[in-house]
Order: sequence, then structure tokens, then C-alpha cells
Amino acid sequence: MSDASPPPPPAEASPPPPPSTSGSPTDFLKGVVGKRVVVRLTSGVDYRGVLSCLDGYMNIALEQTEEHVNGTVTNRYGDAFIRGNNVLYISAAEAL
Amino acid sequence: MDTSSGIQEPFDLIRLSLSEKVFVKLRGDRELTGVLHAYDGHMNLILSDVEETIMLVEQVEGGPEGQTTVNVAKRKMNMLFVRGDGVILVSPPSRT
Repeated sequence: MSDASPPPPPAEASPPPPPSTSGSPTDFLKGVVGKRVVVRLTSGVDYRGVLSCLDGYMNIALEQTEEHVNGTVTNRYGDAFIRGNNVLYISAAEAL
Repeated sequence: MDTSSGIQEPFDLIRLSLSEKVFVKLRGDRELTGVLHAYDGHMNLILSDVEETIMLVEQVEGGPEGQTTVNVAKRKMNMLFVRGDGVILVSPPSRT
């Protein structure tokens, strides 16, 4: 009973990860405002541009927007409002 | 916070497009251009002098799988209410 050696202490937490892997989704979104992003819609269409702003519905305002379908540019917009319900993901296209 | 165009939330983009000609991309391969008169938080829209463009994508009869033809149909309407849930993207005229 008492001869059992105590279990080894749990491994110490690894060194803090680089900033790009920490924080909440909200922190990520705050970080990408003003940066180049790729917004993919559930339809599979991609919008590449500079993220001006977004709101709680994930409605998105993009600048210098290119619409990509199957890897080819199909449209360009100076500004674009994307209704949030269509958004699948937002990907950072440059270093944060 | 302020980006180059001075908008704080995505709906500002729409507000700045009132009385302007806008491009609207809808579900079901439909597009609209018309003058924006009103909108609300659902992105319900009132447009005037509208041209609707409908892309009819059809499988080529007897052709290889995936080969499609696109037929384009257009029609015009004086005044139109657009239900917000059909909206994918709204692009204002390029402001220079």
C-alpha cells in the first residue's frame, strides 16, 4: 500500500506557444482586421481581399475583393458586403 | 480601428450605398443590379430600376459528366423587394 511509488508528476506544461496559436476565435478575428484574408462560403466560392470589418453575425466588409471559383478569378469588387450566414471560414492570407 | 474607407461595421458599407447603383449576388445563381432605396438588419432590400441576371447551368446532353452550358436570362423590374436570406453579397459602386 505504502510501497507504491507515487506517480510521476504530470509533465510540465510545454513552453507557451507562439502568439498565433493562442487566444480565442474573437482574438483571431480582431487580429485579422485590416489584413488580407480568404473568405470561403459554403457554396465553395472564395473571396480574397482586405478585411475592413465584421460583426457578430459574421457579416463581412471586404476591400479590393477578388471572387475565385475553382481557382480562377471570376469577379472583382472595390468593396463587398458578404452576408454572414454564407460564410464557411475566414483564413488569414498574410502574417498576423 | 478606422480603416482607409472609414467604416466601423459591415452595414456602414450598405448605408453609404443608399441611392446608389449596387450589385447584389443572390442564391440560385442570380444577380441583381439596381438603385438601393432601403435595407434592414436582415439585408431585406428595396431596389429600383433593377436588372436581374439568371444563370441557367445545364448538363450537356450526351456530353461527358460535368460538362455544362450556361444560359443567361435577363429581366427588368421597376421596383423590387428582396428577402434578406437570399442575399450572398452586396457590392456598392466603386467610390473613388
